[in-house]
Parts: sequence; C-alpha cells; structure tokens
Amino acid sequence: MKSRYTIFPLLALVFSLGVIPLSYSQDNALKFKLKPGANGKLCLNCHVDFQDKLKKTFIHTPVKAGECTGCHNPHTSSHGKLLAADTGKICLTCHKEMSRPGDRSVHKVVAEGGCVKCHDPHSANNKFNLLKDGNELCFGCHKEIGATIAKVKFKHNPVSKGCLNCHDPHASAKYGFLLKNDVPALCVGCHKTDKPIFAKQHMNYPVANSRCTSCHDPHGSDMPGILYNNVHKPVANKMCNQCHQEPGSATPLKTRKSGSDLCRGCHNDMINTTMGKNRIHWPLLDKEGCLTCHNPHAAPRKGLLKDNMIVVCGKCHADTIKRQERSETKHPPIMEGKCTACHNPHSSDSVFLTNKSSIVDLCGGCHNWQKHSTHPIGEKYKDPRNKNVTLQCLSCHRSHGTEYKHFLYYPTTTELCVQCHEQFKR
Amino acid sequence: MRRAFEKYLLFMAVLLFPLHCLGAEAVKFKHVASIYVDEKGGSIRLPEGVACDDKSLVVVADTGNGRLLRFTFQDGTAKGGGEIKVPQLIYPVRVQMNSKGEIFALDGKERRIVRLNPEGAFAGYVEPQGVPEAAAFVPRSFKVDSGDNIYILDILSNRVLVLDPAGKFQRQIPFPEKFGFFSDLAVNANGDVLLIDSVAATVSIAAKGATSFTPLTKEMHEYMDFPTYITTDKRGMIYLVDQNGDGIITLGQDGSFQGRQLSLGWKDGLLYYPSQVCMNGAGNFFIADRNNSRVQVFEMSR
Repeated sequence: MKSRYTIFPLLALVFSLGVIPLSYSQDNALKFKLKPGANGKLCLNCHVDFQDKLKKTFIHTPVKAGECTGCHNPHTSSHGKLLAADTGKICLTCHKEMSRPGDRSVHKVVAEGGCVKCHDPHSANNKFNLLKDGNELCFGCHKEIGATIAKVKFKHNPVSKGCLNCHDPHASAKYGFLLKNDVPALCVGCHKTDKPIFAKQHMNYPVANSRCTSCHDPHGSDMPGILYNNVHKPVANKMCNQCHQEPGSATPLKTRKSGSDLCRGCHNDMINTTMGKNRIHWPLLDKEGCLTCHNPHAAPRKGLLKDNMIVVCGKCHADTIKRQERSETKHPPIMEGKCTACHNPHSSDSVFLTNKSSIVDLCGGCHNWQKHSTHPIGEKYKDPRNKNVTLQCLSCHRSHGTEYKHFLYYPTTTELCVQCHEQFKR
Repeated sequence: MRRAFEKYLLFMAVLLFPLHCLGAEAVKFKHVASIYVDEKGGSIRLPEGVACDDKSLVVVADTGNGRLLRFTFQDGTAKGGGEIKVPQLIYPVRVQMNSKGEIFALDGKERRIVRLNPEGAFAGYVEPQGVPEAAAFVPRSFKVDSGDNIYILDILSNRVLVLDPAGKFQRQIPFPEKFGFFSDLAVNANGDVLLIDSVAATVSIAAKGATSFTPLTKEMHEYMDFPTYITTDKRGMIYLVDQNGDGIITLGQDGSFQGRQLSLGWKDGLLYYPSQVCMNGAGNFFIADRNNSRVQVFEMSR
C-alpha cells in the first residue's frame, strides 16, 4: 500500500524531468519559428567542428538536448559568443544555487560570474564539465599554493587527494575559505582527538577544541606535524608551559601573563628598546599586544607574522593600502609588502614610525640620486609655503601614492611647482 | 477663487520650506591665524596637542620639542607662548585643562598622564585609586569633563575609566565587543561618553550613566580615512579629526554626517596630518597641525 503512494512523487519527478526540457525546447522552437525538426540540428550545419565536442564524455544537458538557443541568441546579442545574457547571469538561470546572499565565503570566480574559468559550457572529459581534473584545475589559479604543496616535505594526505575534500568550490554558507566545515570540526573528522597519541603530541594540553590552523599548515609544510614553517622556539622545544599554565591546572590554556608582559620574559631587550622610543605603535600596548600581528605558536611568515605585511598592516591601515592601490605610480616596497623597509612596526622616535629621522635619508636608502638632485632639499631649506617645515621628499611626493604620476600631490608638474614658485603661476 | 489661491500659497510654502533647517547646521571654518613660534621666537615642532578654555587661554603640546606652550588668543591674535617644561613630561601628545586651570598632558613615551598646576609646575601623575580589577592600565587618550572628572581610554583592559577630579575611581565602561582600534574618547555636555574607532571609522556612545557602549554611527569610510580624535561642542555637534585624510568631519548629535572641512596642504588654512583640536567660548577652533609644525586657528560660522 505504502509503495503505491510513494510511486506518485517519483512518477511526477520523471515526468517533469522529461517534459520541462521538452516544453522549453518547444518554446525556443516557437520563439525563433524553427522548421519542424530543425531544433538542435540547424546550428550544426555550420558549426561542424561542434560534432567533436559532442563525442566527449560529459555533455552539458542543454547541449545534449540540442538547445543552443537556451544560452545563445542566433540572431544578435550584446554579449560575446552571441550569448543571450551576460556570462555571469546566463549560468544562473538554471544553476541558481551555487551561491546565496549571505554566504560566509564565495569563490571569487563564482562571485564574478566566471563559471567558464572552471567549466566548459558545452562538454568535457571531466565530471561536471570541468576543464581539468582534480587539483590541477585549482592550481591553474592558485599557483603559489600548488607549488608549495608540490615541494613541501610533509604532505597532508587529503590535500594531495583533492582540494574538494575540505573546500566547496563554489561557496560556503557558514565558514570562511570555502571550507565545508569549521575548524576544528573539519579536522577531527579524520584526526581522532580522544586517542592517547593526540594528547601526547600536544603535551597533554586540552587542544581538541582549539583552532588547529593556528599552528598547523593544512596544506603541508617542511616541519614535522605540518606545523607552519616558522615555529616559535618554546613550541619547537615542546615547552608550552613556558607561556601557558601547567596542563593539569584548572586553566591550562591560560597564559602566565597577558599582553607584551608575557613576551618580555624572553624578548626583554627588544621590548625595552621598543618601550624606550618616543613613539610606540599603540596596538603593542593593548590587550592583544604582540599577538595583534604575530602568531604565538607557528606561522607561515618570518618573524611569526600572521600573514604578509599588506594583510597584517592593512587590517588597520586599510586607507593607506588602498591609497597605494589607487595610485597611478606604485611604490615598490609597498607593492611587495615590505612596510618595514621604511617603518619600524614597534616604535620609533619619528612620526610615521619611520626607520630614520630624516625623510631625505630614508628615501635616499633606495633613491640615491635624491641626494644630488638639483632641487634643494634638506634641513637647510625652508618650505616657502610654511616657515616651520623644511623641504624634503614628502614636500612634493606622497610616499603611499596619489592619483597622479610619481606620487605627486597635483595633476601636473606645473601645478606642483607653482605652489612655491608663485611668480610662474599663470 | 480666493480659497484656491490660499491653497496654492500653502502648497508652495510647504514645497519651498527649507528642510535642512531642521537638521544640524553645517559648520564652516575661516582661517584666522597660525601659531608658529614661542615667546622667544623658537619654532614649534610637530605639535600633537592643543587645549583651550572658554576665555582666552590656549595650551599647546609642542611634542617635537618636548614641552608645553601657553598662549592667550584674543581679537584674532595669539600672544605669549611661554614654555612649560618639566622633567616628568618628556613627550606630550594630548593636553587638557580643567575648570581650575590645571593642565593635564599625556606623555606618549611614558604613557602617563601628568598633572600640572595652573602655573605649570608638576603636581603629580593621574594614578587611578581604587580600581576594582585589572589595576594596570595604558592610557591611549583622556578627557576632562566640565565637572573636572577624568575619563581615561584604557587600551590594555579595553575600557573607559572614570575618575573623580582627585583621581579616585568612579566607574568603568567596557569597550564594545567588536572594534578595530579606539584612538580617542569624548564627553559631551550631556555626560555621554563617545569613542572613535580609527579602523572601522565608527563612533560608539555610552549615554550618561550607561554601563555599555552602543554604535552611534555605521562605518563612515566614505567620508574619512583614519579618524584619530573626537570632541563635541556645547550643542552636541561631534567633530572628528581625520588624520590621514587631512580634514575635520562634523557629525550631528545623532551621528549623522554633516560635512567635511579643510584639506591637505602646507599653506595657512590647510592641514598636514592634524592631531588634536579644541574650541573656545569665542567660537575659535584650534587645530594642532602636526606635520605642518603649527597650530592653526579658525573662526567657526554656521
């Protein structure tokens, strides 16, 4: 009796699967007033090379149904390849569910409507019409990560098998980095935290609910245990209790001291030097202290930096990073993420936390010609616009860029020069 | 016919009513003077602080020279410029005055608030007494209200400490849960405490007596780059110093954007990395124009 009722929804599904494409194809046949039987065959009269595509293993459903007009307009179009709509929108007419508003993370190509960067819209020899198989496809764009994975000494098995073990290629509704689950839930799917070896490896600290990726590089590394390549000495020496309370205590993960006071235990000289300067980078003194920029356990970057400097510094100084991005001329140290080429991230006696007190000397570190430039600059020369400042590089250039060439403050050289040389103003 | 005409007049009156009159009045700045030197003709260097009273007194934190300077400003002219230099204050970055004429300055190097008597002599440090928990604090900034109470922006323990005029702990207000970096705080005439988040470009408010902060504004990156200082006038208008954007932003009491004044430059009337600002009773607006090594005075008009 029960099976008699369950057959109806199934029949409805089969019927709809068959009828919807049929009715859709009839709609298009009517729309373009095709001759009877021409649908799906007419285009192939000219596009003969398309026959090869139809021999591939996986063929896009509308292509298989001869529904070229499902995506292309046979007469005119405002879009390339006579597409009926923008590439970003045309796939979504059928594949609506690839990402939804409010998703925590969306693959950039999906957000930009670049479906064809991964999928062949007609046919392919890979499942889901993918252009390439497995990780090879992902590494086409994510070259740096592909190269790292290939050369690391200690590999993470699921990564070698396929990126999609952990990541959703389109979007993740709840998690960052397109992850299928949160960390550590994703990790403990394979790594059993209740096993004695897990506790032993983690010096008996209860880290089962901690964020694994704060120490381990999920893509593999050159360090045992796939720790990030730069490991903090106490971690490498398995001396967690140097910073944390004893593993058997009531609060084992709590640090022995807070903020930079904890780091001072080992980095005393550096912190004393830092604190002795006139100007400190204030976040160093806040609750997070050193951990605002550094990872205390292990990190992919030198100096245990959480990320490259563009990301770390840009987290707070986004306006400065954006100014460089908008700038017509790029300043190489900024472009390369070498903020410390000019700034001391901890403290300095100079404004802007520069490494040198004289801006001319600072710029002169790279731009030697500035020192024998014909235009007078330096402490001897007053700025005609303001008697309390002297002429230096920043009198004419904004080091992080402007919307004009050579970081000039004004659109033309003339407009810049007449700021001081007013007699030449026209 | 007459009734129709009256209706037409009424309709036109409603249509032409200047709706902007209902909002906060836009403030405009007119440059009046610039202060470049002390009483001996010595140049001011990288000043980061300026405080003024309701009469004519102006105190400048001449940061680059490690001293304070005291001026009087009347009839569009600054006079005086006597030096206040004490060994307990090495690198003044923020300055305030209370109703008794005492001067308070934050030392950016020692991260301590120094109290000076009206004559400029050292009168001690502001050391909170009786803080119930997390006694250690790092003052990023501070303010003194009309009742001489001292409000400290404590970035070590993520809170605002409220002290009585003698430095005795009154209460503390924790920072909101999510924030970028708070650079400054203000206390308006109602006693509400305001915080400026430089990273998120937002203002948070704790109404008088409230135990927590709530957002007053949304992110305002479209109007400013990196706001680092906040103050209010007697009407409740909020003024933000956009340090990296070289401008002054005005917000209404409700946090609504009202306008942006001034821009980048070296000539009088222009700014180059401004720092602290203050207003006096005569409608003058003083700006510590840090990288122009001067203090500029503007007349405010509405």
